[in-house]
Amino acid sequence: MKSFKNILIIGLFTVGLSTFYSCNKLDLKPSDTIDPEKAYRNLDDIDMAIKGAYAGMTYTLIGNSVVVSDEAIYPLENTVGNVSAYRWQYTASSSSVTSAFGEYYVVIDRANRALAGLEKLEKVDADTKKHYQGELLAVRAFAHVELLRAYAASYEPTALGIPYMLKSEIGHPPRKTVAEVISLVQKDINEALSLIGDEEAVYRFSKTGLYALQARAALYAKDWPLAIAASSKVIAAKPLADRTSFPKIWSDESSDEVVFSLRRTAADLPKEDDSPAEGPIGALFFRQDGEIALYTPSNKLIALFDKNKDIRFGSYILDDPNRGAGKQQYLIGKYLGRKEADATAGLVDVKLFRTGEMYLIRAEANTETNKLNEANSDLNVLRKARIQDYQNQVIASKDELIDAILAERYKELAFEGHRFFDLKRRKMPIRRGPQDAVNTAGALLLESTKAQYNFPIPADEIFVNKNMVQNPGYTK
Amino acid sequence: MHAQALLTLALSLNLAPTIAKTGSKSISFANYGNSFVLLQQTIRGKVLDEKGQGIGGVTVRNLTAGTTAQSTSDGNFSITAKQGDQLEFSSVGYDRQSNTFSGSGPLTIVLANKSTVLEDVTVTGYTNYSKKQSANVSTTVKAKDLEQVPMASVDQMLQGRVPGMSVMASSGQPGATASVVIRGIGSINGISDPLYVIDGIPIATSELKNFSANDFESVNVLRDATGKSLYGSRGSNGVIVITTKKGKSGQLTVNFNSQYGLSKLTRPKFQMMNTQQRLQFEEELGAFVDPDNNEGIGPGWTYSPKNPDVAGGTSAYKARAAQILDSLRGINVDWRDYFFRNGKFMDQQVNVSGGGEHVRFYSSAGYYKQDGVAIRSGLDRYTLKNNVDFDKGKLSGGVNVTLGYTNSKFTEGVGASRVGSSMASVYYALPYEYPYAPDGTLIHFGNEDDYFILDQREGSAGLERLLNSSSSSELFNTNVGLNLNYQLLPTLKVHTRLGIDYNTTTGQDYINPDSYYGSRDRDPTLGGKGLFAEDNLRSTNVISTTGLTYQNTFDEKHNLELSAYFEYLYRRNRAFGYKGYGIDSRLPENPNGVTVSPTYLPAILGGRTKYALASYMALGRYTYDNRYSLTASYRYDGSSRVAEANRWHGFYSFGANWNIKEEEFLKSNEFIQGLSLRASYGTTASTINGDFNYLATFRKDITYGGETAIRPYDPGNPNYDWEYVDEFNAGFDMELFPSKRLRIAMDYYNKITKNMFFDQPISLTSGFLDRKLPLSTGKMRNRGLEMSLSGDVIKREDWGVTLGVNASYNKNTILYLSDALTEVLDGDTRIMRVGLPYGTYYAPEWAGVNPQTGDAQYYNRDGSITTEYDETSQAVTKSGSMFPKWVGGFNTTVRWKNLSLDALFAFVSDVSRWNNEDFYNENSGYMTSNQSIRMLTDRWKQPGDNTILQRIDVSREYTSKDIQDASFLRLRNVNLVYQFPKTLFGDQKVIKGARIFFQGQNLLTWTSWRGLDPENSEGISRFNYPAPRTYTAGFSVNF
Repeated sequence: MKSFKNILIIGLFTVGLSTFYSCNKLDLKPSDTIDPEKAYRNLDDIDMAIKGAYAGMTYTLIGNSVVVSDEAIYPLENTVGNVSAYRWQYTASSSSVTSAFGEYYVVIDRANRALAGLEKLEKVDADTKKHYQGELLAVRAFAHVELLRAYAASYEPTALGIPYMLKSEIGHPPRKTVAEVISLVQKDINEALSLIGDEEAVYRFSKTGLYALQARAALYAKDWPLAIAASSKVIAAKPLADRTSFPKIWSDESSDEVVFSLRRTAADLPKEDDSPAEGPIGALFFRQDGEIALYTPSNKLIALFDKNKDIRFGSYILDDPNRGAGKQQYLIGKYLGRKEADATAGLVDVKLFRTGEMYLIRAEANTETNKLNEANSDLNVLRKARIQDYQNQVIASKDELIDAILAERYKELAFEGHRFFDLKRRKMPIRRGPQDAVNTAGALLLESTKAQYNFPIPADEIFVNKNMVQNPGYTK
Repeated sequence: MHAQALLTLALSLNLAPTIAKTGSKSISFANYGNSFVLLQQTIRGKVLDEKGQGIGGVTVRNLTAGTTAQSTSDGNFSITAKQGDQLEFSSVGYDRQSNTFSGSGPLTIVLANKSTVLEDVTVTGYTNYSKKQSANVSTTVKAKDLEQVPMASVDQMLQGRVPGMSVMASSGQPGATASVVIRGIGSINGISDPLYVIDGIPIATSELKNFSANDFESVNVLRDATGKSLYGSRGSNGVIVITTKKGKSGQLTVNFNSQYGLSKLTRPKFQMMNTQQRLQFEEELGAFVDPDNNEGIGPGWTYSPKNPDVAGGTSAYKARAAQILDSLRGINVDWRDYFFRNGKFMDQQVNVSGGGEHVRFYSSAGYYKQDGVAIRSGLDRYTLKNNVDFDKGKLSGGVNVTLGYTNSKFTEGVGASRVGSSMASVYYALPYEYPYAPDGTLIHFGNEDDYFILDQREGSAGLERLLNSSSSSELFNTNVGLNLNYQLLPTLKVHTRLGIDYNTTTGQDYINPDSYYGSRDRDPTLGGKGLFAEDNLRSTNVISTTGLTYQNTFDEKHNLELSAYFEYLYRRNRAFGYKGYGIDSRLPENPNGVTVSPTYLPAILGGRTKYALASYMALGRYTYDNRYSLTASYRYDGSSRVAEANRWHGFYSFGANWNIKEEEFLKSNEFIQGLSLRASYGTTASTINGDFNYLATFRKDITYGGETAIRPYDPGNPNYDWEYVDEFNAGFDMELFPSKRLRIAMDYYNKITKNMFFDQPISLTSGFLDRKLPLSTGKMRNRGLEMSLSGDVIKREDWGVTLGVNASYNKNTILYLSDALTEVLDGDTRIMRVGLPYGTYYAPEWAGVNPQTGDAQYYNRDGSITTEYDETSQAVTKSGSMFPKWVGGFNTTVRWKNLSLDALFAFVSDVSRWNNEDFYNENSGYMTSNQSIRMLTDRWKQPGDNTILQRIDVSREYTSKDIQDASFLRLRNVNLVYQFPKTLFGDQKVIKGARIFFQGQNLLTWTSWRGLDPENSEGISRFNYPAPRTYTAGFSVNF
């Protein structure tokens, strides 16, 4: 009996004491999600994180530029959309023109986190590490350029730019000036150029892609020599497409002259309602459900093309006279989808940089630096590639040449997210043609002095970021 | 390191015999420390019960010497002992007592009756302090009020019984849990449910329905810091300590309880139109939808003689139109008949209890079956309970085992407003919609083109879903507790407790592939061929508590009790589930019916999570002369749910109690039989919702170019900390009249939640678009008063009337949000604003209908009236809050001879809810569906009309009239019991007692609320499952 008791007492204490060992068991780790320690263990993880950053890049700004510029009509058949952005009625609370703000900071944050994770990796292949660092810096610079194009109060060096995020942080960053942003962008690009490898890529940033970005940033910064130097590198590396392959670019059958595009496959489409993924880019302009054209090419733009000889007309604009009464005949043809039988309508890669743009950047920079011959030559080379039986032209006046380059940009880069920002760059008003007046409710002219000439910073951001300043003319 | 501290404490207590062995109940300090020889002597004595009668058959043991003796029938005994020997007295039916022999006899020993001390002791799970010796505020609900209540979940039974506690059912679904809030809501992001502990094992609220309240001896609700701080970081919402029934020494008792009953649907205040009214309504509106094409909202206009198309038609067409209207008038469907029913109820329980001197047991088996008033819903429960406790010498302990199995079946579309949701269809459906064709075929959206249909088929759509789907959930739990206590020294006891709760929940959903509901290629039936989904959650919970308790009295006046514990709690959850599509209807409700192919790609779901909490505790009580008591507690908690920097934190409490009755000046007062004052202060924290909230997380749920990519998902918060609650309490207890006929208790509390989390949006530059960061910058206060009063109005042999009232008032105020915010919207209809209560509604004020124009009018913030609606600029906070200010109840027991009647009323006041049903039922935007009668009778029709509802073409907006007073008074339970007189059973030994009873639950409700049921924990009322009214009759027999 006595020994039984002793055993019990010992047992009692053993049970009690055994739990003392559990003190360290408070260090539990989640198993349903990946914690920061496991997010960037090796270069493969970093590769996955870089893809995550590309996955965050959206076509929102492409859509915005089409809707608010003079590229498109809001046709009568579109009874399912919201016309307010088209009529320049947006405020800081309108998600239409403010959503890209958050979207590109998502990209930046993903890049910054991956950069920090990459920094900690030792004993990995040094070249790959450097290449990834370069690629991530390129992504970061690109995203900031996109934000700057959309949300800067103007492109003057002293104007309000955007916060530049050099690391992942939850804070209240203030807006930097345009000049400051540009200088940080060029710094990131230069550093990236020194790190990134030479392998070619279309769906990710390559050296050529970086030069293209550098050229575009220089264009917005009016840094003409840099614009010429950088665009020349791209032109040398990636020649223009010929007229056979040019139409194939838009159904992803050819990647000629495509410097950088966002790869989009059926697997990338959103599967659930709350998915962070985007639908096909074509859905911006055409709704398959009910076959409703949401936005169609403006008559002002159509009129500029030589319909028979300009390869761009047939590639950019779909002429479908059989759509029936009350339906638009001309549709945006750039984003119809791939040609395969089971292809998702409207699903194509999102082209962000092409050689065509590089010629136009160089032409503009040459004009601005009074190299009119070189400028004329660039313009003629491009037109010759696009237009059948094209005869070279020489424009002698600098102003006329600038006008001709802008008009060429209007055509060449139609529906690619440039028109609105090109006009903003030149402080020119948005002027819709009288033939495009349908559904505008009188919104035919947007002067550069109007608040809506610059997109607003999202109201939510003003609300939570005490250092954030709104663009002029918007309340809150 | 913490372990060491505890061990040191244990050792110091162990190795100090001079302290440990000193004194005990009756004998003064002996010269034990000196080692001179003591004389062995035969001592005599007498054992008495509390009434002074001698007790025979008492075992008297000299634990030191190992000798034993028995008392004679008059209670006398003799045994050999020497000074300092430990004597123990035990007898069936009495509390064991042990004394140290002082060296002089004869002894008089008084044994207390066993288990009669419940009322005077506060069971907290760690301490059993006498009520008069602690500042603890708690309310005990006893078995009598829990047995045979026709509800499956014990939380719902507590409504109206406990001051300061609001109990709101979440649904009328049998077995549904209630939202229980003690002393006001103290957390926004955290959990506001109290902690439930059954025999020392914490239980998830969702598991409560698996326990039969028939097995509960008592439910004790701890409300102030002295009780809650014992639970540290889990305690701030209050703790509900449940003790199950234990066997009593003595004869074997068999008890059989049985009851049967019926549940009925309660009726709301609004009434939908019948066919007559609906057709008149349609006719009145005329060509409302499209005047150009003469299109109205239904056949009431299409075939009306007033319709120009009919009036100008051929006589054959006129006759046809009249005939159609006539046949529609012949149909008048009350859609409740198709979706609701009278639910059957049954509760059977048998329990056996008894025991010998050293081992006692209580065993029970129960079956509970309740059909819901909504078709398809119901609950079946089987429970098995076995408690064994034992004591032998210095060792005592017990084993508690509970097995429970519940199968809950659910109805379709509760709380949803979409067309097709069954619960909403009841009200959307037109009264002239008859669901079936003459051949019995249900006519629904899928086949309506084959029939001549003049209605919207919204009722049939809901019915089609209801009949072609099923949803159920099985919960199985095993709950095992083992506790051992060893009296190491007369003053020192070691305890250890090990509890394991293992439960599995298996949910199942099925949609018939051959139905229209199952044929649509969209969520939830991807591929358009039904659905079979199953999910399984396994939860393992382990709790281990080990500690020491030291208790001693010095100089007869200084009573000290000290305890130290170590506790470890661990929980692991594993979840797995799948959704299968392409169902073969020959294999319904079975995974084998699932097709796996690219078209029917099943989805796999699941997860794993775990949680651990380690704690060190030190508790103490000191009582001087039974008059002044001080209690203190300290608990040092470490939780895996908190960021490493803030992982360990201490929680403490202090309490003081003054038992004034024991003072000389009151001792002999006949009128005041009891009076004590108390005050306490302490800290706790509220339970964190989620196991890894503090961690930044990443997900692999995105792709680039079809290749898997990774993204940061949650920003994480390295400063993640507890939400701390500081609480002060002051109160008193009073018992008046010689027989303590009137009992009053009152408490004031002030509870402040600091470091309160609430979701704050973060700058988009952080890279998170829609993630809100729970930042702990908020501060909230709950302040209130609790009162309870009970009295024996009549207390005679044959007659008795008792009355009890309890009420509490709570004022909640948000004190602080953050540096940047003084207000933030809380969902669509509420706002969190500094200075206002949490849950405050935010809506434009309704200014009535303009009698001249019929326009809807709203107040601008400056008080002017406008017909322009603008929520942003007009919303104000004048509509109250979703959390009540007043809650309480009153009960009465009337006893006459063998008949007794118990009635319990519960009330809630100063509470508002958003009645979303009105928005659908009185809205011209939804007029093709059925509408409330008010749309016909109280609608503005012509200038001068003073009406409730606006002109038919004026759009219906969300305003203050949708936020309605949800106060109610409810006759919660009435129970009429007849106890058969003992004489009836005569001399036969089989039946010892029997009673029959009739019971009614939710019999009457007084409220001005217009929606389905005022009692619902959801702030929004939108086609919820209303609480049923239940009538039962049953009997109970003792063998």
